[in-house]
Amino acid sequence: MTLGILGKKLGMTQIFREDGTCIPVTVVQAGPCKVLQIKVVAAGEHPEGHRTSTGNRGKKSGRQERTRAADGYYAVQLGFDDRPARTSSKAALGQAKKAGLEGSKHFVREFRLGEAPTVKPGDDVSASLFEGVTNVDVVGTTKGRGWAGTIKRWNFHRQPTSHGNSLNHRTAGGLGRMHSISKGVPKGKKMAGHYGVERVTVQNLEVIKVDADRNLVYLRGAVPGHNNGYLMLSKSIKVKIKR
Amino acid sequence: MNILRQIEIENMKASVPDFGIGDTVDVHYQIKEGDKERIQVFSGTVIAITGRGIRRTALIRRLVAGEGVERRFPIHSPRVADVRVRGRGKARRAKLYYLRELEGKATRLKPNMGKARYPRSLKSKAGQAKQDAPKQDS
Repeated sequence: MTLGILGKKLGMTQIFREDGTCIPVTVVQAGPCKVLQIKVVAAGEHPEGHRTSTGNRGKKSGRQERTRAADGYYAVQLGFDDRPARTSSKAALGQAKKAGLEGSKHFVREFRLGEAPTVKPGDDVSASLFEGVTNVDVVGTTKGRGWAGTIKRWNFHRQPTSHGNSLNHRTAGGLGRMHSISKGVPKGKKMAGHYGVERVTVQNLEVIKVDADRNLVYLRGAVPGHNNGYLMLSKSIKVKIKR
Repeated sequence: MNILRQIEIENMKASVPDFGIGDTVDVHYQIKEGDKERIQVFSGTVIAITGRGIRRTALIRRLVAGEGVERRFPIHSPRVADVRVRGRGKARRAKLYYLRELEGKATRLKPNMGKARYPRSLKSKAGQAKQDAPKQDS
């Protein structure tokens, strides 16, 4: 559990090594991110200036200052991609202001940590975080496929196109049980339905290059989602064993 | 400029030999044999060009002992050392797959007598774009 970074899939291309091998790469805009908030186990661990929170809670007495409660876990909340004030909620703007930012962010996610975070709200996190990192895990949202049949959604086989088959080429087929043990359709039976727009993690993607100047990370292979889709990148939790 | 395009231009060869569909070319391809590197020449007719930017490939067809042989070269691969144009051919299609069905004299293409029918400035264009690419700070 280490700090990662938020980013955006820019698209795929290829890069040639000097020996002529061609590497398919996904270019990810990784950062710049801002730390919006810190989550801590004990109340006293909040960074200076964030130990209290204010609000009037609908009371006439006006703004009241309270000690911020503990969150019970360690995490860093990052924000990526500026969001115009007119589309931001007041809560998001207030949070951003507290972190010392001008406006709020489009994409906000937390990274859970094992120990108290060293960064403070308002800090920058950039792609240089991944310098020297060989593999990363990427979390994204897959492309939406709408209502999909069992072949696309669950990799079922299709039925024969001929030999007497009539109008049953892509249907699911049998749903389950014989008459004697008939208890209806088994629970969790794979059927047609909505597919895609799911959170998916791809583990152990090789980092080909880190361009800290432009906050770009080049990863070997594909990442979930469409171009310009938001991603979470973190150091691989499983280190690849080289054979 | 689109940042992905910019990245491709940075990794592309600054200049690409100027050839097009229907041309007869010699592709100088570096191959490794053990520790030694040598250049192998594959000459034939360009029957298809696919892809954009760094992903551009050329499909070259030739006849070896009466058997048609096709090979696809990634133009921007460092292994493709050089492409030399032996003759310009006149093609009225973007893909010359019909040549596969033909034999002998029928596979000849009319020579293109010095007519510029595709952008001759492919290389200068890419080179220019590389220079024009805005240098971003941090």
